[in-house]
Amino acid sequence: MGSFLIEQIVNGIITGSMYALVAAGMTMIFGVLRAINFAHGEYYMLGTFAAWWCMTQFAADYSLAIVGGVAIVSLMAVLIGRAVMQRLIGQPFQAGVLATLGLSLILQNIVILAFGGGYKVFSGGWIEPIDLGDFGMSQQRVILVVVTLAVFAGLEWMVRSTRLGRSIRAVSQNIECCQVNGIDVEQVVRRTFLIGVAIAALSGILTGPINVSIYGGMGEAVTLKTFAVIVMGGMGNVRGTLIAGCLLGVVESLVAGFIGLQYRDSVGFIVLLLMLMLRPHGLFSSKARF
Amino acid sequence: MSCNPTKTKNLHNLHNLHNLHNLHNLHNLRSAAWMALMALSGLAALPAAHAQTGDTFKIGIISPMSGPNARYGAFANKGAALAAKEINAAGGVLGKKIELVSGDSQCVPSEGVAATQRMISLDKTPVIIGDVCSSVTLAMQPLAEESKVLLVNAASSNPDITYRAGVGGFKWTFRNYPTDEVRAATVLEYSVKTKGYKKFAVLSVDSDYGRGAIKFTKRYLPKYEGAEILSEDYYKDSETDFRSVLSKIRRAGAQAIILYGQADTTPIIARQMLELGLAGKVGLVGNGEFNTKSTIASAPKVMNGAVEAAAWLPEVQAPRSLRFVEEYKKANGGELPNVHAYTHYDTLFLLAKVIADVKSLKGEDIRNGLASVKYDSPMGMVSFDDHNQAVLPMVLLEVADDKPVIKSAISSKVDYPAAGK
Repeated sequence: MGSFLIEQIVNGIITGSMYALVAAGMTMIFGVLRAINFAHGEYYMLGTFAAWWCMTQFAADYSLAIVGGVAIVSLMAVLIGRAVMQRLIGQPFQAGVLATLGLSLILQNIVILAFGGGYKVFSGGWIEPIDLGDFGMSQQRVILVVVTLAVFAGLEWMVRSTRLGRSIRAVSQNIECCQVNGIDVEQVVRRTFLIGVAIAALSGILTGPINVSIYGGMGEAVTLKTFAVIVMGGMGNVRGTLIAGCLLGVVESLVAGFIGLQYRDSVGFIVLLLMLMLRPHGLFSSKARF
Repeated sequence: MSCNPTKTKNLHNLHNLHNLHNLHNLHNLRSAAWMALMALSGLAALPAAHAQTGDTFKIGIISPMSGPNARYGAFANKGAALAAKEINAAGGVLGKKIELVSGDSQCVPSEGVAATQRMISLDKTPVIIGDVCSSVTLAMQPLAEESKVLLVNAASSNPDITYRAGVGGFKWTFRNYPTDEVRAATVLEYSVKTKGYKKFAVLSVDSDYGRGAIKFTKRYLPKYEGAEILSEDYYKDSETDFRSVLSKIRRAGAQAIILYGQADTTPIIARQMLELGLAGKVGLVGNGEFNTKSTIASAPKVMNGAVEAAAWLPEVQAPRSLRFVEEYKKANGGELPNVHAYTHYDTLFLLAKVIADVKSLKGEDIRNGLASVKYDSPMGMVSFDDHNQAVLPMVLLEVADDKPVIKSAISSKVDYPAAGK
């Protein structure tokens, strides 16, 4: 029983690191724009599709496809950042909701038009199991956790020690002051968006080999889970996101393991409801940041 | 509206003006209503006129064309289109060409019912083939009954669909597809007797199809001494993470997983079983396109030994079935058809045969013809029982050496009183 519990917790941390990776970008974008990016799951989906496309179109190796996939989606992020996201600065929140929901529909349907509505098989990746004594796990999952930790360490360093990081923090505290002080707010928004999208795409590509079947609508479920994670972590709180993501993953895993798989998806929604009712500012801060 | 004579002239005028204004509004409203009515009737007349003047016979196809189950709809439509092309090339039905009309159910009952309603009122199709997803078909049945439109199902396997049809109630529903009852009974028998499995874990899709198949598996389980179900889990059709539940199944000591699932999820489960070291230790039995090349290729070590009961698979060696596979590949850029492509193809030929028998294109005549038809399908003879359920051959297969091997042919005759509670 004890080892079963440990196994489920490990499973949960792995799933949770995927949630955290996607949520990191969403929470950063919220920080600078005060807009929930409802299209965030689509960038996860686009990443998976871009890598899949690289592998099927150019017979690229999986490791190359990771680079190619992130590059393709980043390019799209540059365009979308200029065309849509930077225009949301100073707009009421409804504009953000409509713009990102619209983007989500457009991106999903572009993929469906380009590649068809059916499932594609994502082959490749490092799926050979590693034997961990009592239970097995594919190398890909270990990589996912390691990459997540590395990305969060990198983000932490970036936010604390680089000029971009400092301006991101500044913009998320007070846009008007930044504008007065000569910080190019639009540029900060574009770059934050680019980083967030690239991380989401990376997460999609890294989970591709485990999830195997990919399709145009796969981002929706991710957006919902991610939303629960960023509310738990505290909107705009990058470090909180990592812990919140893992927490959600672990609880989901325990529910699936001990109660039943059919109740798994309800966990995220119950958490979201409870958080919004009891601690709308997140688990880790005593008062709202904004 | 009475006018008080003591009121001043001004007020009176004002009142008149007000009346006039009301009248004006009323007039506007009335003309707007007329315009709306005209527009609506025009809209309604358009397809009706088309149906009358065109020399085609319309058959509707309701299937999931978007969403997580879009793959099924694509196969169903392509299969039906191939059949329509072949039938039309041979002269059509009673001299009329078959025209297919498609509706998207998204595998969601409310969407399916809305699409069916649109099809019945706008396209006026006397016959509808649909849906793939059992939950949608169950919701479509009352609508077809009420509208007196013939609903021929070609891909849903939930037993209740025909338990509720024919002598069971719905006179306008027929099913040209095996039910999960027969599937469950056969798979269970083979698993216990031939494979020697006794301890099962259930992992099926959370739908009328997945849950229905398990309900009937449980009904037949007591027939086998010592056979038991250790755990029961159902997954949402967009689920991708099965590690937790597979860990549980492994620790419970199950010998086989009873999986009645979605074709697209089978590779995910197989891949994660491989990951957890379940390959070769825990078998897969049930249904979920275990036999397709890409599924087997996703985790051959897991899929070898998997047992499935299927209505059809491309490996069936009957000459007309092989010809269908060839023609389908030719028409669709080399894509291999799945079971739904075949059943929709076959159902169109079944309808053509019935129409030729009864020499009528009326829904009611076709319905009566179906009840007594003896149709020679590529798989063998098909007829319908008093529940409007097709008695038709299906196959039991086991994956061996990365290829599906047909183990036996099963006749899908349902024994209603024996199965009844």
